[in-house]
Amino acid sequence: MAFIDNLRNAGTAMQAIAVSIGGLLGVFTTLAFFFLMILAADRFSKHK
Amino acid sequence: MQDVFIGFTSITWKMLVMYGIGGILIWLAIKKQYEPMLLLPIGFGAILVNLPLSIAWEHEGIPGFLRILYEAGIANELFPILIFIAVGAMIDFGPLFRNPLMIFFGAAAQFGIFATMIVATLLGFDLKTAASIGIIGAADGPTAIYVANKFARDYLAPISVAAYSYMSLVPIIQPPVIRLLTTKQERSIHMPLHEKQSPQWLKILFPILVTMTSGIVAPISVPLVGSLMFGNLIRESGVVERLSQVAQNELAYLVTLLLGISIGGSMSAEKFLNFDTLLILAMGLVAFIFDTAGGVLFAKLVNMFLPKEKKINPMIGACGISAFPMSARVIQKMANDEERGNIILMQAIGANVSGQLGSIIAGGLVLALVPLIVG
Repeated sequence: MAFIDNLRNAGTAMQAIAVSIGGLLGVFTTLAFFFLMILAADRFSKHK
Repeated sequence: MQDVFIGFTSITWKMLVMYGIGGILIWLAIKKQYEPMLLLPIGFGAILVNLPLSIAWEHEGIPGFLRILYEAGIANELFPILIFIAVGAMIDFGPLFRNPLMIFFGAAAQFGIFATMIVATLLGFDLKTAASIGIIGAADGPTAIYVANKFARDYLAPISVAAYSYMSLVPIIQPPVIRLLTTKQERSIHMPLHEKQSPQWLKILFPILVTMTSGIVAPISVPLVGSLMFGNLIRESGVVERLSQVAQNELAYLVTLLLGISIGGSMSAEKFLNFDTLLILAMGLVAFIFDTAGGVLFAKLVNMFLPKEKKINPMIGACGISAFPMSARVIQKMANDEERGNIILMQAIGANVSGQLGSIIAGGLVLALVPLIVG
């Protein structure tokens, strides 16, 4: 929370950089989860 | 007597410029066939709303049909959501299931969104407006409209026009960026085709799990992801074929028509003709260039860790943008031009549908993260 409070007082460009890092990490993590989901489904269907 | 000529006397130079802009959009749609389904109604809407007295928007306090459509479908985000149902019904995730690694390009090619957002703040835009401008890089019109409507309603028209115009210009924007960042040898890399079929249960389960996951990671993204995945579920369920066809055709065409003319209707000269519009159009182009570069460079990075026989053609990275299926077609054509018979279309489509997923997730994350900081 302290980190977000600091960001609230930071400059706009710094805020944009923080959103960018969070956004890119979020997209990669979410899609990585879908990737694992597809791999697991693939393994499961091979076992069947 | 003055009332008789009011149509002539109330024309301003700004209106004339807007007729020109509307005319250019119509010309691009008809002559160049750039996104004609959207640019044609947007162009005509832009002319309509800028006619003297702007009767189509509002007259003597009574909303005209353009304003009614705008309030009914854009202001409450209904049209983008309906478009997503239609798009979802058109998407086949099969090529992605056969090449799951392609999913990461759908993330890497969102780089343009965030890079452009930073550039926009450096140019003086506030964070919410900068985020809306960056979302042009989602290469996904409905997401751009959805985010702009929440964060920067005053800039909705230029952002929408930029998003759809550059989507139609993908065949012109992407190739030079790709050629700049890759060697001929890299562009000639062949990729093995996986012929295995994806099980039906995966195709059905995927849209449900994606919706649930996105809803947990970024609850605000649910309207975007949920509508896209609902459309996809209709397609993949196999039991409502007519609904799937209606979503892919009648729904898509009708809502696109209404969306286009409503966006055009929001292009009044007072709102559209300013320096910010020019900046937004320029930054939209920057966003598409960064997207393409992000995808290609990420593919080159991945290649550093892959054995020689499993190397990825880095052009595939550029397909991670959401402009589906245009980007995949462009890349396939480039691969074929480099080496006749080099078929990478399936992998390109896999990356391209991942881009569709990545763009709405990025949109959802932007909608979630920005208010955390600026309220």
